[in-house]
Amino acid sequence: MSFLAGWTAIAITAAVTVPPLVALYFLKLRRQAVPVSTTMLWRRAVEDLQVNAPFQRIRNNLLLWLQLLILLLAAFALGKPIFEARQSDKDTLVLLLDNSASMNVEEAERQTRLDVAKRQARTAIDNMPDGGRAMIISFADRADIVSAFDTDKQALKAKIDEIEPTESTTRLTEGIALAEAYMQNLIIAGDQKGQDIEVKSSAGPARVMILTDGNIADAATLTVKNLPTDNIEVVGIGDRTDNVGIVGMDATRRYEHPETLEVFAMVRNFGDSKVTLDAHLYINDDHVDVQTMTLEPGHLPPADKPDSADTGAAVVDSALPAGSVASVAFDDVQYEGSGIVEVRLQVDDALAADNKAWTVIPPPRNVAVLLVSEGDVFLQRLLPTLPISLETVTPAEYEQASEDDITVGGRSKYDVVILENHSTDRLPPGSYLFLGGVPKIDGVSAGGLIKDEVIFNWDDTHAVLRYVAVDTIHVFQWLRLNLPSSAQVIMEGESSPVMALLYQDGRQYLISAFGLIANDDVTGEPMLNTDWVVKAHFPIFVYNAIQYLADAITPSGQRSIQPGEPMEFPVEKGVTTVRIRRPDGFVDRIDTGEQPTVTYARTRRAGIYTADPVPEARAKVAVNLFSDAESDIAPRRKLTLSGEQVSAEQGIRRVNKPFWPWLLVAMVVVLAIEWAIYSKRVFV
Amino acid sequence: MTRATTDVHQSPFLDADFIARLERLEIVSRKIFQGKMRGERRSKRRGESVEFADYRNYVVGDDLRFLDWNIFARLDRLFLKLFLEEEDLHVNVLLDTSASMEWGKPSKSRYSRQVAASLAYIGLANNDRVSLYAFGPGLTYELAGLRGKRQLPKIIDFLTRTECSGISDMTAACRQFSMRHPQPGILLVLSDFFDKGGYENGLRMLLGRKFDLYCLQVLSPEEIDPKLTGELRLTDVEDEDVAEVSMSRALINRYKHNLQAYCDTLRQYCTRRGISYLFSSTDVPFDQVVLTYLRRKGLLR
Repeated sequence: MSFLAGWTAIAITAAVTVPPLVALYFLKLRRQAVPVSTTMLWRRAVEDLQVNAPFQRIRNNLLLWLQLLILLLAAFALGKPIFEARQSDKDTLVLLLDNSASMNVEEAERQTRLDVAKRQARTAIDNMPDGGRAMIISFADRADIVSAFDTDKQALKAKIDEIEPTESTTRLTEGIALAEAYMQNLIIAGDQKGQDIEVKSSAGPARVMILTDGNIADAATLTVKNLPTDNIEVVGIGDRTDNVGIVGMDATRRYEHPETLEVFAMVRNFGDSKVTLDAHLYINDDHVDVQTMTLEPGHLPPADKPDSADTGAAVVDSALPAGSVASVAFDDVQYEGSGIVEVRLQVDDALAADNKAWTVIPPPRNVAVLLVSEGDVFLQRLLPTLPISLETVTPAEYEQASEDDITVGGRSKYDVVILENHSTDRLPPGSYLFLGGVPKIDGVSAGGLIKDEVIFNWDDTHAVLRYVAVDTIHVFQWLRLNLPSSAQVIMEGESSPVMALLYQDGRQYLISAFGLIANDDVTGEPMLNTDWVVKAHFPIFVYNAIQYLADAITPSGQRSIQPGEPMEFPVEKGVTTVRIRRPDGFVDRIDTGEQPTVTYARTRRAGIYTADPVPEARAKVAVNLFSDAESDIAPRRKLTLSGEQVSAEQGIRRVNKPFWPWLLVAMVVVLAIEWAIYSKRVFV
Repeated sequence: MTRATTDVHQSPFLDADFIARLERLEIVSRKIFQGKMRGERRSKRRGESVEFADYRNYVVGDDLRFLDWNIFARLDRLFLKLFLEEEDLHVNVLLDTSASMEWGKPSKSRYSRQVAASLAYIGLANNDRVSLYAFGPGLTYELAGLRGKRQLPKIIDFLTRTECSGISDMTAACRQFSMRHPQPGILLVLSDFFDKGGYENGLRMLLGRKFDLYCLQVLSPEEIDPKLTGELRLTDVEDEDVAEVSMSRALINRYKHNLQAYCDTLRQYCTRRGISYLFSSTDVPFDQVVLTYLRRKGLLR
């Protein structure tokens, strides 16, 4: 046994309290006067006992001894006695707590993994020696500093309790970076001003403790620069593996029958037993359909698992057990209005967050398209055949048009503006498709022309290029595009991007470096720039692009985003505050600051987020987990950090079990005995 | 002192039932004393009662009226018939009225007065000569030579009037008493015998006067089993002497032990000298003391 607070505290307490107690007994305060018939016999008795002798009095006074015992017990309790003190020599601790979606799994005693992790974290705080510093960081899709370095254990524990669960993915890089950054600060702060910063600082190396279930998406790419890996402990949390989750979902209107919906959902069994479940379809919370499906076990015993699984990297495609993934499709759902399509799995599994998925569907509508072109026979013939309302102007007319003609409420009047061979800075907030031109905005410029190159790389999974056979396209020349890094290139030439998506200042651009028509170098006559226009998939591309630009809600172009990703809402002019209702019913107010869009990032819960006042078609955004890494809740016991394998410990041992509560209990017991003796008048 | 008065007025010393029972009792003396007047007691003297006592030879000068002529006729010798003389008995009660007697609940004072009244009444009822004395620092009150039941109100009045005060000084009181009253008789001393000067000298003086001596030590339950706790400053009600004590089980045990020893010493002192010693606590009903204890001791019949 040793004392966290040291003997000094005990000595001081005892020195302050014991002498007054003894003095009180000596001084004995006021005696109660009692008349008796004669003092003769009392005097004799007193003389017999010699009670008035001070030391005899103390010797015979059990109450005093008991009170002294109580004081000593209290003094020892103040000394914070502990059992089995294995104090760490490192007095700086960085706690990294995983609060991602998979930490919501209910383990034994109906405690979530996060609860378990919090308990472990509190134990770790308790284990710190007095004067030790600790920092707490929670990490999910991003890392948050819950508490900067602090020595107050109670405050730290209170901060731990404040950590809220999220339904986000798990990324540790930011957490480690934060911890390192803070360590650097600490090292600098720890040194004297004006002196060179040496490696051996007063701060000393920190102990880093990562409390996680091991499902870390970026574990493979994680690098630890300044923290020695020896000092990193990983505490593994959780045991359960049974989980079924929706890993993907989409709802589309059938092209030829816009009133018909097709809903797909991808369901995967991560558990190690066969699962039969019902998938329910709800539209605006009305039950529409149900399908029963059976999934084979998807969890392999650890020995059979590929290495990548053990290192915590997301296992998406690698050797899925057959039958563990199935898609459920609800065809021919007749629904015309806008609303929320929800797929619910009726299954009792460990993680509830991935048993529901939502998609927001806009009402079928005619997309308003403005074509700005000098005259392009192909587009002029193609666009009217699409289910859109089309207007056509020349570039000159576009530039001269009054503000009212092309804007309404500060935004573009049209859902999509197609500009062919025309670069402009007249870009009210809205969506733009540039063909052979660029928006005149910061970071975007067109260099010279590139000829005789082929399209070399493209993203055929992107919605715009769906069903487009890019490899069959030949383009005569295109502009050399200079794009900001935020642009998403979906088609690339050998030396320059060919097609890219850019989201900036509430405007969405799909920039194609080539137009359909180009002017011949020699003759100056318009000529066909690409053979795409005669291919069957060109109309598909145009339709995709219009559909995408008209519907696109998020920078990523998905109708649903993952928890933690920001969402943007367009704002009409004059609106100063936007209220956003979260799935948990909480309403956030956001000041628009007269900007055309507001960004909202507190999206760490899955569900539907509703903004008001925002144009109805874009007022709702679905946040879905859709993450194999999170849904695969089986805890990993090994993590690779900077190429080194770190095995997770199973929980933290309480190294210094505090003894003082027992001392206090003993104190109370002695106090009770003293009271009993006092009240029974057994004074010996 | 006010309390004594209140006590006295609370209820009569003796109620009618009790008086009726007292009438059946009489005081018995183990010794035969010379009375002052003719009474209902046998006297040492041969006298003129109807009860035959003895014969003796006639000597010249004897009253011829007491010659037994029948014997003379039969034996031709002169015998004188002796008859028992019946005289009255002196019944004295020496009542402690020092301040300490006022202590306790019920007070020892009232208790002892009740016993005194009972005894006085029995004496009066049997035509004995009843004298009551109160003593504190010395003899303070006296009511001497009462005979006949009609004197009861006087006794009650006397007992009501006597106040408890002062330090008890038994030696002085007994000296005064024995000097003033050379007539022997029955003497009942009612006291707590808590006398810092000691009781021995006083009792010895009374013994010297050949009293048939009875001592009734009256103590209150508070004295016998004190329920005191804490740190106390004990004040003597008589001389205001102060004793500071820390109450403890040991101290109380010691006190009880001392009290027992004190009472034992008194009892031994008494029995060795032919004094009847009685002990009573005030929580024993006083009529029980009178009807049972005193009878058992032979004072009453």
